[in-house]
Amino acid sequence: MNNRTTAYQHFAAPWTNLAMRCLAAIIVLASTGLLSVADAGPREQAKRIHDRLAGVPPSEAVLVQMEADVQAGNAGAIDAAYTAMANPNFYNVTLKNFAAPWTNREGDAFVPLNDYIATVVGMIRDDVPFNQLLSADLLYIGNPSLGVPPYSSSNNSHYEAIESNNHDMQTGLVQTTQSSLTGLPPSATAGVMTTRAAAEAFFVAGTNRAMFRFTMMNHMCNDMEQVHDTKLPPDRIRQDVSRSPGGDSRLFLNNCIGCHNGMDPMAQAFAYYNFNPDTGSIEYTPGQVQPKYFNNEDNFPFGFRTPDDSWDNYWRAGQNQFLGWDPSLPGSGVGAKSMGEELANSDAFASCQVKKVFRAVCLRAPEDATDRSQVDQMVTSFKTGYSMKQTFAEAAVYCMGQ
Amino acid sequence: MDQVQVRSMTTPALTKRPLRASATAALAAVLLAACGGGAPTTENPVTSETPPVGYQGPPPATADVQSFKLNVWDNVHTSNRCGACHNESVNQAPLFARNDDVNLAYEAANTVVNLTQPGNSRLVEKVGTGHNCWLSSAQACADIMTTWIEGWAGEIATGGRQIVLEAPVSTAPGASKNYANATVQDFATLVHEPLLLEYCAGCHSSSAPTSQQPYFAEADAEAAFEAAKQRMDLDDPANSRFVLRLGNEFHNCWDVGCAASAAEMQAAIQAFADTVPLTEIDPALINSLALRIVDGTIAAGGNRFENDQVALWEFKTGSGTTAYDTSGVDPAIDLTLSGDVAWFGGWGITVNDGKAQGSTSASKKLHDLIRGTGEYSIEAWVVPANVTQEMARIVSYSAGDDARNFTLQQTLYDYQHLLRSTETSLNGDPALSTPSAEEVLQASLQHVVATFSPVNGRRTFVNGELRTGQDPVPGGSLVDWQDTFAFVLGNEVSNSGLWQGTIRLVAVHNRALTPEQVVQNFDVGVGEKFFLLFSIEDIINVPTAYILFEVSQYDTYGYLFNEPRFITLDESQQVQGIPIQGLRIGINGDEVSVGQSYANLDSVLDTAAFGELGQPLSALGAIMPLEKGPEDDEFFLTFDLLGTQSYVRTGDPALVVTPEDLPPAQRIGIRTFDEINATMATVTGVDPETTAVDMTFQKLRQSLPAVENIQTFLSSHQVAIAQLAIEYCNALVEGPDAATYFSNFNFDQAPATAYSETNRNQVIDPLIDRVMGIAIQTQPDFTVVRDELGYVSSDGARPDNLIDRLLVSPDNPNTRAIAKGVCAAVLGSAVTLVQ
Repeated sequence: MNNRTTAYQHFAAPWTNLAMRCLAAIIVLASTGLLSVADAGPREQAKRIHDRLAGVPPSEAVLVQMEADVQAGNAGAIDAAYTAMANPNFYNVTLKNFAAPWTNREGDAFVPLNDYIATVVGMIRDDVPFNQLLSADLLYIGNPSLGVPPYSSSNNSHYEAIESNNHDMQTGLVQTTQSSLTGLPPSATAGVMTTRAAAEAFFVAGTNRAMFRFTMMNHMCNDMEQVHDTKLPPDRIRQDVSRSPGGDSRLFLNNCIGCHNGMDPMAQAFAYYNFNPDTGSIEYTPGQVQPKYFNNEDNFPFGFRTPDDSWDNYWRAGQNQFLGWDPSLPGSGVGAKSMGEELANSDAFASCQVKKVFRAVCLRAPEDATDRSQVDQMVTSFKTGYSMKQTFAEAAVYCMGQ
Repeated sequence: MDQVQVRSMTTPALTKRPLRASATAALAAVLLAACGGGAPTTENPVTSETPPVGYQGPPPATADVQSFKLNVWDNVHTSNRCGACHNESVNQAPLFARNDDVNLAYEAANTVVNLTQPGNSRLVEKVGTGHNCWLSSAQACADIMTTWIEGWAGEIATGGRQIVLEAPVSTAPGASKNYANATVQDFATLVHEPLLLEYCAGCHSSSAPTSQQPYFAEADAEAAFEAAKQRMDLDDPANSRFVLRLGNEFHNCWDVGCAASAAEMQAAIQAFADTVPLTEIDPALINSLALRIVDGTIAAGGNRFENDQVALWEFKTGSGTTAYDTSGVDPAIDLTLSGDVAWFGGWGITVNDGKAQGSTSASKKLHDLIRGTGEYSIEAWVVPANVTQEMARIVSYSAGDDARNFTLQQTLYDYQHLLRSTETSLNGDPALSTPSAEEVLQASLQHVVATFSPVNGRRTFVNGELRTGQDPVPGGSLVDWQDTFAFVLGNEVSNSGLWQGTIRLVAVHNRALTPEQVVQNFDVGVGEKFFLLFSIEDIINVPTAYILFEVSQYDTYGYLFNEPRFITLDESQQVQGIPIQGLRIGINGDEVSVGQSYANLDSVLDTAAFGELGQPLSALGAIMPLEKGPEDDEFFLTFDLLGTQSYVRTGDPALVVTPEDLPPAQRIGIRTFDEINATMATVTGVDPETTAVDMTFQKLRQSLPAVENIQTFLSSHQVAIAQLAIEYCNALVEGPDAATYFSNFNFDQAPATAYSETNRNQVIDPLIDRVMGIAIQTQPDFTVVRDELGYVSSDGARPDNLIDRLLVSPDNPNTRAIAKGVCAAVLGSAVTLVQ
C-alpha cells in the first residue's frame, strides 16, 4: 500500500502546481459545456443513447453507425441502443452500479462486486426473463479462464478479483446454478434473495424481515409505509412485536400492525434461512424454524409462533391489491422460491423494474402524463418477455432528446 | 391455584357439568394450566401457637382457628379497624373481632367470609363499599382484607381460589354513541373551552402550578379530549364522571354551587353528545349477544406465591395521589405520587417525570424484615417507555445518588441490580447487570424479579427466566443497611434518576424466590382478567352455547381478548360439525376495524374437541382499542359463518394511486464515479488498470459524483475530477501511445517551438475530437474550446489562453507538461462530465 501511495505521489507531485493552474481553465470549460444545450439531431441522439447506456461516449465509428440507425426511425433507434449495450461498460459500469445499491441495507453503490450484482448483470446480458429474479436457481460466476479465485460460498473473493482486475463481465461471466455451488437444495433457491451477498446483508441476525422489506423496496418500489393497511387480520404477527410499545397499544393499532400484518405472513417464507457471520455462509435448515423467529417471544406470548415456512399474501385483499398480483398464482405457498414468484409476477414488480431503468437512463423520474404513458407502454412490453435489455433500449430511445 | 367450574344461572337444573363437577385435585392442576397457573401453593410461614401479648382469652382450639387468628384476627381486632365495633363490648354483630375469645370470633367470622373465593367475602364487600375503611381508598381496604382472608384460606385449601363460570345476563348489542364519530372540534367548543379550561385548568393541566392528572383541561384540545373521553358518558350524560364528581362528590365546584355546576357540566356534555350520531349495528351481521367486561367472571388473582411477601403495590386505585401497599403486612408503605405520574388503565402507574415514594418510617419495614432474613426479592411488572434511558431507577430503597440498600434500575437494554452488603459499596456497587448483548430489557410488559441470598448472591429473572450469570460478588450480609432510607419507584429519592415507563405491580419478599416461585408468579400475570361468555345459542340453536374469551384491560388504551373457546354450560348438549368462520369482535354497536386476530378463523364446533374449558378455537390474542372505558364499552362477536347463517363481507377495494406531476427535471445529468473513470479511459485510450491511474481512482472514487442529478454537483467533485484527469493525461502523454494520439506533434522540441501557431493544433485537435466528439451540436462549439486552449488571431496576437499562459509560466513547464495541462483542461471539463 505504501509503495503504491508513493508511486502515486511520485506521479502526482510534479503536477500539483500545474493542476491548480489548469483548474481555472477546466471550470471555464465546464461552464461552456453546461451552456451548450442545443437541439438534438440523430447524431446527438445517438451519442446520448450511448452515453446513457454505456456510461461512456462512443467511438466515432460506433457513433456513425448508431446515427444511421437512429435516422432509420424508432426500430433503428432500438438497434442503436443495442449497439450501445454491446459496449463492455454497459455491464461493468452501468449495470453493476444499477444493481449494487440493492445488495446492502444502506443502498450504497460503492460496494465490491458480489454474486447478487453479477447475477443481475448476467441475467440482463443473457436476457433471462427478469421475473425469475427472485425465484430462479441461478448464479453467475467468473469464467474459470479469468484466473481469479474460484467461487466460494463463504467469502466474496471471487467477485472482488473480477472487479479489481477489471474483467469484462460481458464476456467473463458464465451461468450456473446456486444449488451446485452453495449447498442449497434447488427448491430452496430463490434467485438473488438466496445469493450470498443478499444473505449477508439481509439474513444476518435480526428476524429475517429485512430480506422482505428490502426486496419490497428494491424490486417492488414500495417501502412498508406505502403498503400500510391496518385493517388486515394480525393473526400472523409474531410474538416479538410488542402490542403495547412503551405501554401504549395505540401505537400498535395505528402503526405497527399496518406493516406487520402483511409482512410477517410473507417473511415466514424465510423461516429456514440464516446467515452465519462466523462461517460467512448462508444456512438453510429445512423443517426447522430458525431461532430468530422466536426472538423476544415474551413480548406478546399470545402472538403467532412460526411453525414452518409457509407463507400467505394477505395483500391480495384490501387496498394493497393495487400491487397487481398475478391471478394465476395461488397467493400462498411454502418457502422463499414461491414467495419470490408471487412478488416477481406482480404488476408492481414489472412497473418497478421499468421505473428503475427509466430513472437510470433518463436520469430522472417519470414526471408527467407523457412519461407515465411511456412507462405504461414499457411495462406492457416488459411483461411480454421480461427482457431488461429491451427495457433499457426503450428507455434510452425515449430519452434520447428531441 | 385457580379452579374453574361452570355453572349456569339460567338453567338451574343444569348447574354443573358432571365432568367438571367431579374435578379431582389432578384435574384442578389441568384447569390451572388453562388459566395460566404455576407451581402449587405452599404453606404460610408463621405458625406460632403463642397468643400475642394482649390476648388473654383461651388459645385457638384448632389449627384452623390458629390460622384465622394469625391471618385475620390479629389484623382486624385492633381499635382502629373492625375491632372498634365488632367486639364483645360494643356488641356490633357479627363479633368476628371480639377480644375475649378468638374461637368465638372464628365462629362469627365464618359467617362473613368465603374461603373458596375470598374476594367474594362479605367482609371484603363491606370494606370495599367504604364501610369504615381505615384507608382513604375503599378498594385498598378490600384488597388488604382479601389478602388476609386468602392467607387464612391458604392454610386449609390447596386448591386456591375457585372460579365459577356463570351464565351472564346478556343483551342484544345496542345502538350507542361512539367517540369514533365525535370530533375534537365539537368537544373543544362545547365542553373544553367553556367549562374545562375555565374551571379545571388550575389543576388538571400539565402547565398548572399544582398539575394533577388526568389532564382533561390541557390547553391542547386533542390531548384534553383523550383524557376526557372516559369521564363523559355520551349515552347518559348525567352518569358522566365529570357530572358525578361535581354533583355528588362536591369536587371543586365553581361559584354557582355544586348542583348548578353539575347541571352546567351535564348540559355541556349533552350538547356534545347531541353532535355524535348513534352507531346502529348492521342488521345483516351474524352476531352474538353483548357483554361488558364487568359482566364477566374474574379470572385472575389468587395463586401468586406470596408467603414471604412483605410489601405489595397493585395500583388498583386508579385516581388520587396514593398507591397503597396492600400486602397486609403492617406498617403499609403507601406511596405518594408526585410530579408527572399518571394512573395506567388496567392497574398501574405511568411515570413520565415524577416518582412514587414512601415515608422513611414506613419504609423501615423493609429494613427490619429483610435484614432479619438476610435475603430478599424485588418483583415488578414493568413496561419501560424506551430502551435509551440510563441509570434509571425502577425500584429503589435509597437515600440519594450515593447511598442505597437496594435498587433495580434500567440502563439501555439492561436491568441492573445494586445492593449494599458487606461485599459491596455503600452505594451498592458494583451493579449486577443482565448481559447487554442479549438486550433482555424491552419496551414491552416484562416481569422482572431481582433476588438476593447469601448463598446465590444476586440473580435477575426476566419473564420467568434467569438472565444473569453467577454474581461475581460473594454473597455478603446486610448488616450495613440503613433504616432511614425511603422506598421509591420510578426515580431516585433525590429526583436525579428518573425512569420513564409503566409499573403495573411491585412486590417485595423477604426471601429469595426460587426459580419455580418466580415462574409461578410470572404465569399468574398481572392485572385483572375476566372470562366473558358471549352467547351464540340463538344462532346455532344449542342452549347454553357460548364463545368464551379471557379479556383484560391491556393498557390505558386497549383490551386484550385472548384464547377464544367454544363452550356449553350444559354439558348434556352435544354439538357436532357446526362450522365457524371469520370471528370478529365488535364494540359499542360496530365491528372494530383493526386488530381482528380471528378474522381468518376456520373451524368446526364439536363436542369431541372439548377440553375442560370447552373447545379451543385459537391460541392467539387480539388487542382491541378502548373507547369509552372498561365499565361502559359493550362487546359482541360477529361471524362470517356460524352454523347455517352467514354474512357476506365485501373487502376494501384496491387503493387507487393518482399520480401527480413532478416539477420538470433536467434532461441532462452528470456522469458518476465509475462512468467518469471509464469515460476518461475511453477517450484517452489509457488502460484504467495502469497503476498510477488506478491508485488515483481508488483514492478518489468516493469523492467523485455519486448521483446523476446535475444540481448535486459540488466544487469538491470538480477537484477530484481534475486530479483524475491529470493522472490520465500524465499516463497518456508519458505513455507509449502519445505519438499516435498526438500524431505529428514533436514532444522533444522546446515549448516555444513545439507550441508554435501551426503546431499547437496537433495537441488541441485530437483532444477535442476524442473527448468532446466531432460535430455534436449538444457539445460546445469546437472553435470556442480550441480558442480557450490556444487561440491565435489572424494578426498573430495571442490573447489570454491556456497554452500561452503556460508558456510564460514562472514554473517554466516543459513541452510534455504543457500538453498534460491542455489535456487535463479538456478531459476534466463538462464536455466529459455532462451526459
